Amino acid sequence: MSDPVAGWALAVVIVGLALSTLVTRTSFLLAGAKLRLGHRVEVALRYAPVCTLAAIIVPDILIHPPGHAIDLSLLNPRLIGALAAGLWLCWSRNIIGCLGLGMGAYTLARLYL
Amino acid sequence: MISGVAMVKGGLAVHWAIMMSLLVYAGSAQLAALPLIVAGAPLWVIVATGLITNLRFVIYSAALRPHFADLPWRRRAALGFFMTDFTFTRFMRSAQEGTLPEHRDAWFAGICSHNWITWQVSAITGIIGASYVPTDWGLEFTGTLALVALVGPSLNARPAIVGAAAAAVVALIAYPLPFKLGLFCGAIAGIAAATLTDTLQQRSPPPGAEAT
Repeated sequence: MSDPVAGWALAVVIVGLALSTLVTRTSFLLAGAKLRLGHRVEVALRYAPVCTLAAIIVPDILIHPPGHAIDLSLLNPRLIGALAAGLWLCWSRNIIGCLGLGMGAYTLARLYL
Repeated sequence: MISGVAMVKGGLAVHWAIMMSLLVYAGSAQLAALPLIVAGAPLWVIVATGLITNLRFVIYSAALRPHFADLPWRRRAALGFFMTDFTFTRFMRSAQEGTLPEHRDAWFAGICSHNWITWQVSAITGIIGASYVPTDWGLEFTGTLALVALVGPSLNARPAIVGAAAAAVVALIAYPLPFKLGLFCGAIAGIAAATLTDTLQQRSPPPGAEAT
């Protein structure tokens, strides 16, 4: 990929993202009363975020720096950090702990492996 | 705060990060868009990714509508824009318990504005604080970890687990596609897998589940 999006292009992105927030959050509050969400559509909308985020996170962890091969080895600091964060989440919902442990494991692996 | 740190360490200038926080006001969409901005992905890909991440709010706004149907549209739009995962959950809990106050719109506006101020203060603290931290501390990885923390608790139902797994595998396979299109292939495969799993579950409810 090319350089980071910056300047006016970034302003356009920010306005576009702000519109996406506005449109989704106000959609049914402004729509006519006759419009209803079908079950199938509701299911798709409910799971869309978690699927999109998984499609972002997993390559972000396993392919780094971007463009390299998939790194599934336990020498991958990002994988170690994410696993530590995930394990923490299994027994606690505390987000600060999750980030602290994940960053700690990532940093140690990055510096010493 | 994490979104603030991640935005600056991802390479956004402080003034753009603050503007993004104030205008977009959707942590998961911001964190999802960030790696794409850094990678120089096309504008429409970035905005579409943010939009998909925000799709859950469509369900929220449908659930809120009956409560606010009698309000003028401007007020409905304002309440909608400032709604978040947290304030929506809080509102629906009171609605289910039957403890909504008489002026429910004013009450909701109250928790939303409180949430907005808290969020913005901590995000801007993160943005400015992070700008003083050296880049080689690897703080940009907090954005990925924050997404892990967002996704983790949502993996509490079979469709979510199947969908996320399918999305991850397809996104990895389709990674070499240009314009970050692998991300979309993954998201669409995941949504299809989740919907299919839900349909199969409806047909044969797991033991112990109530028939509907």
